[in-house]
Amino acid sequence: MRTVLKVVDNSGAKKVMCIQALKGKKCAKLGDTIVASVKEAHPNGKVKKGKVVYGVVVHAAMRCGRCNGSEVKFDDNVVVLVDKQGQPIGTRVFGLVPHELRKKKHVKILTLAEHIA
Amino acid sequence: MWAALRSRSSSLHPWKQGIAVPPGLNPTAFSSSSFTTAATTNKAFLSLQEIKKVLNDVRADDVKVLSVPNMHADWADYVVLATGRSTWHVKNIAQALIYKAKQKQKGVDRKVLPSVEGQEEGKWIVIDSGKIIVHALDEKAREYYNLEGLWTTETSQKEPNPELEKAFVKIRPKNNSKKPVQKVA
Repeated sequence: MRTVLKVVDNSGAKKVMCIQALKGKKCAKLGDTIVASVKEAHPNGKVKKGKVVYGVVVHAAMRCGRCNGSEVKFDDNVVVLVDKQGQPIGTRVFGLVPHELRKKKHVKILTLAEHIA
Repeated sequence: MWAALRSRSSSLHPWKQGIAVPPGLNPTAFSSSSFTTAATTNKAFLSLQEIKKVLNDVRADDVKVLSVPNMHADWADYVVLATGRSTWHVKNIAQALIYKAKQKQKGVDRKVLPSVEGQEEGKWIVIDSGKIIVHALDEKAREYYNLEGLWTTETSQKEPNPELEKAFVKIRPKNNSKKPVQKVA
């Protein structure tokens, strides 16, 4: 709630504020979907300011444990915009993307990403 | 608790070792014996030839197979793109592949199915069976996302990142303070 996240795809939005975490009462972690409202957007993009969108968290400052015992933690909170059915709105995803998304069934975002950790 | 930890570390990056684990299932839920049977018999996962045959039968248009080295090296070996003429056709392609996987595993107690994403809306369905990933799109989605453009241009060029080069250059800090610089003895 009220977390401002960066948007890292070319859907047109720049900053987005979380309204609701769809899974879990407390928080949305890496790989979860959130409902967010667009706070800042590029002038000619697919989404405009004030629109309510869904997003998938790809970077989280909270650490996420992996099955080999290591933990992953990012410096910022970043989201990729997605529609209600899970299709990414943008066509490319910039930056690093962790492969936790594969288990959470977000292979589409992984295919559009340029680098996978 | 230690036993649980040990089993988790043994499933270290199963996709890297070539033992493909369908991502929908929790790898820790498997016992070690079922892991080895899956690896040795490899019944669950469709080979390239079988996928090509299934796509031919379903009459999918414009089937392209890309071997994905460099960028996405760790997590898949082949990516198959197929187009469907309508959403129903795209869903049908997905169903056919799953049916083939089920058929291949007749007689096994625990069936391991490839995971499917986007099944309800037939615009872009991804079937992930470990080493091989099949993307079934309809024509509009294929144009929109332009996946071939993404992969073919990406593997050819890997330009040096200019920002990264700048980051490692030592820059003498500018001294803007009014204090005289202390000479190092």
